[in-house]
Order: sequence, then C-alpha cells, then structure tokens
Amino acid sequence: MDVSQYLEIFLDETKEHLQNLSDQLMNLEQDPENMDTINEIFRAAHTLKGMAGTMGYKRMQNLTHDMENVFSEVRNGTIKADGSMIDILFQCLDALEEYTENIQNTSDEGTNDNEHLIKALNDILAGKGSAPAVSEPVAAPAESAKSVQSTPSAATQNDEAKEKWKAISFSDTDKKVLGEAIKQGKNVFGLSVFVQETCILKAARAFLVYKALEELGEIMISVPSAQDIEDEKFDFDFSVIIISEVDMDKVKAAVMNVSEIENCYIAPIELEVEKHDVVPSAEEKSAEVSVSQHAAGQTPAKAEKKSAAKPIVNRTVRVDIEKLDVLMNLVSELIIAKNSLVSAAQTEGITSNSSVNEPIEYLESVTTNLHESVMKVRMVPIESVVQKFPKMIRDLSKKLDKKMQLFMSGEETELDRTVVDEIGDPLMHLLRNSADHGLESAEIRKKRGKPEVGSIFLDAYQDGNNVVIEVRDDGNGIDVEAVKAKAVEKGKITQEQADAMTDKDAIDLLFQPSFSTAKQVTDVSGRGVGLDVVKSKIESLSGDVEVKTKLGEGSTFIIRLPLTLAIIQALMVEVGGEKYAISLGSIQTIEDIAPNEIKFVQNEEVINLRGDVIPLIRLNKVLDNESTKGPDDNLIVAIVKKGDKLAGLVVDELMGQQEIVIKSLGKYINKSKVISGATILGDGEIALIIDANALL
Amino acid sequence: MDGLKEIESYESIQYIVVKFGDEQFGIDIKYIDNIVRMQRITRVPNVPAYIKGVINLRGEVVPVVSLRLKMGLEEDEITKLTRIIIIKLENGEVIGVLVDSVKEVVTLDTREIEKVSYDSAEEKTNFISGIGKDKGELISLFDLNLVFAEKEKSN
Repeated sequence: MDVSQYLEIFLDETKEHLQNLSDQLMNLEQDPENMDTINEIFRAAHTLKGMAGTMGYKRMQNLTHDMENVFSEVRNGTIKADGSMIDILFQCLDALEEYTENIQNTSDEGTNDNEHLIKALNDILAGKGSAPAVSEPVAAPAESAKSVQSTPSAATQNDEAKEKWKAISFSDTDKKVLGEAIKQGKNVFGLSVFVQETCILKAARAFLVYKALEELGEIMISVPSAQDIEDEKFDFDFSVIIISEVDMDKVKAAVMNVSEIENCYIAPIELEVEKHDVVPSAEEKSAEVSVSQHAAGQTPAKAEKKSAAKPIVNRTVRVDIEKLDVLMNLVSELIIAKNSLVSAAQTEGITSNSSVNEPIEYLESVTTNLHESVMKVRMVPIESVVQKFPKMIRDLSKKLDKKMQLFMSGEETELDRTVVDEIGDPLMHLLRNSADHGLESAEIRKKRGKPEVGSIFLDAYQDGNNVVIEVRDDGNGIDVEAVKAKAVEKGKITQEQADAMTDKDAIDLLFQPSFSTAKQVTDVSGRGVGLDVVKSKIESLSGDVEVKTKLGEGSTFIIRLPLTLAIIQALMVEVGGEKYAISLGSIQTIEDIAPNEIKFVQNEEVINLRGDVIPLIRLNKVLDNESTKGPDDNLIVAIVKKGDKLAGLVVDELMGQQEIVIKSLGKYINKSKVISGATILGDGEIALIIDANALL
Repeated sequence: MDGLKEIESYESIQYIVVKFGDEQFGIDIKYIDNIVRMQRITRVPNVPAYIKGVINLRGEVVPVVSLRLKMGLEEDEITKLTRIIIIKLENGEVIGVLVDSVKEVVTLDTREIEKVSYDSAEEKTNFISGIGKDKGELISLFDLNLVFAEKEKSN
C-alpha cells in the first residue's frame, strides 16, 4: 500500500497522540493510581503503535510496543507507576517526537533504535518479577477492544444486529437494477464491514475495502455514502450492496484481507416478495427501457467509484502562509484603492449624490468584511505553541530541583499565524525565567509560609484589538534594589542614577542586553540573553512587554500583541497641521476639555474624568511640533487605555474614522518609539500611526 | 547613452552624476531603483535630522535621507531641479536620497578611478570610495554601503 498520501494525516494525528500522551503522563505523575489516566495512556500508546505499524515505521512501532507492554502491566495492577518509570516514559516520548520530526523532514523515521529506552522499559517489566509480560501478545489490538472479548456464542447472537445492510431500503430503480443483475446470473450481496475500533486511519481502511470490492464487482449502494466514508463520517462500520460475479466467500475473504477489519457480515440478497410487486411491471417493459434504466442505475455507482478513488480529503484546506500573505496584500491594496475613491468622491463634492454614495458605502462594507475574513483565515489558536509548556516546566522542575506547577488558561485564544509562529520562544524564555529566577526553593517557600509547590500561570485572553498573554508566578518577585546594584556593578548606570531611579526604570534595566541577576549561571537561564531578546522579539511583532512585580509575592510579565498586523480601524487626527492615525482599538472615548479643568499632580497635567484622574499627554510635544490651538481653546482629548491604565492624548483636530493599512517605516528609520508605522491615505499622502501603547 | 557605448570597456561601471552645489557626486547605477521628482515628504518625529521623513512611492512607504545633512553640508534647498533618488541596497532596504539635481550618466573605467584615503577630517569623505575623472571634471563616488551602514555604529 502506498502510504505517502496518508503521511500528513499520520503526522497530525501522531502529534496529537504524543501531546495527549504527554498530558496524561503529567496527570499520572500527580495521581499514579488513576485508572482513567492509565487506560488513556495505554490507548494512546497502542494507537501510536498501530499507526506507526500501518505506515511501516518499525522503530517507532517497537518503542511504542514496549511502552504499551509496560502500561498493560500497570493497568493490570502488577506494577505501579512511580517517578523513575515516568521519567523513562517521558524520555520515550522525546524519542517518539524525534522519530516524528524525522518523518516530517525526511519521511523516514531515522536509524536511532533507542535501545537503552527499550531496555529500560523491559527492565521495568522484568522488575515486577513475572517475566512472561513481554511475550504477552499485546500486539493483538482485539485484546484492548472490550467489545470483542465477548464469547463466540454471544457474537453469533449479535450477528443479526450487525447485518446492518439489511436496514438499507431500495428505491424502485435500485430494485430494477438488482433484479436485472440477478437475471443475468450475477450474485448480489449485502455486507456490513466493521473496522476495528482501535483503527486509526479508518477512512483509509474503508477505502481499501472499497477498492477490494470494486475489483470483484460493482458497488450499488453504500451507507454511509462513499463521500462520507472518505470524510470519516462514520463510526466503525459501513454497509454496501454489491453486484458481483464471484461467490460470497471470495468477497468476504477480500474484505477480511484488509488489515484492521474486525469483521464482515455478508449474505446474498434475495429480492423479496415486495420486489415482485414492483418488478414484474418493469420486466414486462421492453428490453430497451430496462437497459436504459440499468444504465441509469449504474451512474451513481460509477460516481461513487470515482470519488472513492480520490485521496482522503478533509473539509479543511492547507494553504501555504505565503499565499495568504499575498491575499492579505491584495486586500490592503483594495482598501487603499477604496480609500482613494472615497477621498476623490469627497473632493469632487459628489458624495451627496446617492447614486455614487451608496455603491461606495457598499464597497466599504464589502472590503471591511473581506479584510475580516482574510484575517480570520490567518488566525490560529495559540494552543499549538503553549501545549508543549507543561512538559517543559516538568523537565525544568527536575533540572532545577524545585517543585512547580504550570496552570494555563485561554489556550484557544487566536492570533495571526505569523505571530503565533514567533511567540513560542519569548514565552518559553519568560516561563524559564519564572521557573529559574522567580520561584524560590522549597525550603525558602516553606519559611515564607507559601505552599511548597510554586505556581506559574500562563493566561491568554483578548482585550479589544489586542491579545494579552500573561506569565505570572508566585515566587520572589523582582528585587529592585538587587537589580540596581547589579547594574551599578556592571557599570551600566552610576550609583547616583541608581538612587534616583524609579522602580519601573529599574525593572526596565532587566530588558537591556546582557543583564542577568541570577547569581549563578545555570543552563536554564542567566546567560544574559533572555529578557532583551524577549522584548525585541515582541516589539518586532508590534507588541510590548510590561512587568508587574511585588517583592516576595511574585511577578507578572504581560505581553500585549496586536490582533492583526496589517489593517486596523483608526481614528485620524491632526496635530500641528500633520495627520496621524491612532488605533481605534485603544481609544475609549473622546472628550472635550476646557483649559480650566486641567489640574496638576506632581507637576504633570491631569484631568478628572468621571472620578478617574487621567494624565494628559500633549501629542504636539511628543511629536515635536507646534499645536495649532491657542492656550485658551478647549482641548480635544482622546482617552486611550492599556490594560488598566488610562491616558488622555491631546490632539488639535479630529478627522474621523478610517480603515487603514499599516505599512512599515522600514528598518532604516530607527523605530521611533511612538510611531508604530505609517499608512497611505486616500489622496496618496502618508499619515504616521501613533502607538498609544508606547505612550502609556 | 548611445555615445557612451563607444567608450565602454570591460571594466567599466556606470554612475549617475548628481550635484550638491557645484560639487559632483557619482552613485553606482546598480543601486538605483528609480529617480523621482520632489514630492511631499511626511516628517517623522524624533529621528535624526538627516532623515527628512517618508514618501509614498507607488504604495510603499520609503524613508528619505538628506545626503547634504549627512555629509555636514548646509540644509537642502528645494528647487525645481531637486530629485529623490531611490536606492535599493544589497539587503533589500529601499531608501530615497535627496539631491540638488541629476546631471547625467557616465561610464567610468576602473582605471580612471582614484582611491581616496580616509584620513581626511571632513565628514563627507567618509562616504566616498574614490574619485572619478570624466571630461576633465572630478566626480566623487559614493560608497552607499558606507553611507547607510555607518548608522548602525552610531546606534
């Protein structure tokens, strides 16, 4: 069998099972007696073995086989899961991942036999005292399928119920075709095929059965339909009516020849009495008619035949991300073109003309929807990135000899594919950082009255046009004084600077290159490449990192990422005669503020807005130009929000809302912090985009 | 251009000759993507003075740099002859440079190019890879990689 067309499915499913296995092993570690977990692991290992076997990956099969053996014993209660065993199993998992990786890259599993792991597994088995475990034929999948363990007599009793094909009802045309076939001396059989419940690529199996049957005859009816079977829309059985010239045993043998088929119930179809009610009239008709009917009856069968021969297609389509990039660019171009059309219509003064206005409005709504759809296509859950973290924390826990636990939430939060691809490393850095620097050792935690097991949290959620990912720990928090002392020692800042520094500035030092407060360099972190890399990576994704910390209680690293990198809704404003865009997502409200409402707190301008004291940021100062407003004019203030912080951005004029395409300023312009990019307006002019998050 | 072909030799490089005041400078034609007329430049705040801002070049946002300011000459004076030369660097980065005017295209034989020494205190010579001679006139040849790479050092 040519398995290459199933490779993708195999890889996908293998990864899924490996992840499942990893999750379950973590559970097992917590609760070594949990039968559900043990069963689940056994099943996952067994499934993996079956899949590897089907695809012809012998080494992978051997390893999973031995893992399965161990679990079979755990399940039987003859050996107990303990720490060392789980360690070995995790190593096996790593080895399996390596195989999968190899298969993905070269479609070959590689040559590493992992003998030491196999030996270790066998030692576990041998350790329990009763040797025969290894010889136990775990390979027989039937063993694990509970239903099959029924006695033969019970099975026969069930046969009636299992001849599901009997439930198939024939249409008149079907009956005529069948009658015709019988008249021609052909055999008509009904058969129900049961695929083993442990079978992984059941659609592939069904396909093979189909192929075998088509070689012997013609499939008349199939329940579920061939298409549904291809799409795996069936449980573990399907029924067909076949017209064949060979006898029943041959058909059955052909079906049973396909591996992982549990059983096949077959019987000849006798067209019953009701047939005679209908068929005679048909038989009386001229030969010509019946021939044409016969042909008509055949057509659907042929169609089925064709679709059955196609490779298994899912309802999903895999698209190269580059194609989506092209699509996104085209959408951007379209929006720019639409914006120019709108602005041209405005300058021509024809927007009051409804025959122009309506199509333009319609065009606007279409482009907006188009953009949203393309954006959604590009969104993937961050799950694929974060799911490897529990195991990483477990490994770190062993390595650092600290007890810790990872709690995750919001794995389903979606982000642009390109962001998700990039976000893994920074998150890993932060988690390692929390594990290594953040959490204290068990003794210290005990002394401080904290639970011995440290907790690390990874929470993701959407906040307006941003996605926020928080990495939090209940460890020691950042010792600001230690950071300052270190910076002085490293010559980064002077003592005077250190004394004058706010806590926030001190924490920012952590994000500078080659800065680490770890007293000892471990191979987990503390090499001085870490937080600065995290920061630059996040910033390259147009996001930002914020730290909250309380000494003795823990720290939180908050990563904020834009939902989309390409097109946003923006508020267009004028400052000092220049046009700027501010992402609408970060704007709360627009306020009109009289100059006498401005108060001063620590020499900073603030306003009191419905009970909130909000600092004012005069954009003309930030942007280094002259406001067109006089000192007595009312201020137009856009209230922006980041997390729980608010600020009021003072602008000269509001120009309205617009959908804008974000363009990069290029590497050459040293990313001016407040400017996150530029956009091209309808008239071809460039407006810079103000990053409100950077101002807060 | 036709006239130039006659003096083409196997070691010749084509330069676009641009002027800053009375001085002539050459830019290797292989870096030149386009030459556009002066257009509205959008100022970018908080950047060095020699970055004049950004322009819209066929839908792309392109930074514009004043070579005058970069070389320590006086501020550009925008006239009808002012041009923006769009340069495409080897790393793919696209940058526009302001020049007073564009004179012509010359083909210089590498033997006609004299290397310059770097010991001069004058800032502008830091960006010059050599001096070419054409029809009795001197053309200072830019080394664009020096012009734009120097930036990273100051960072």
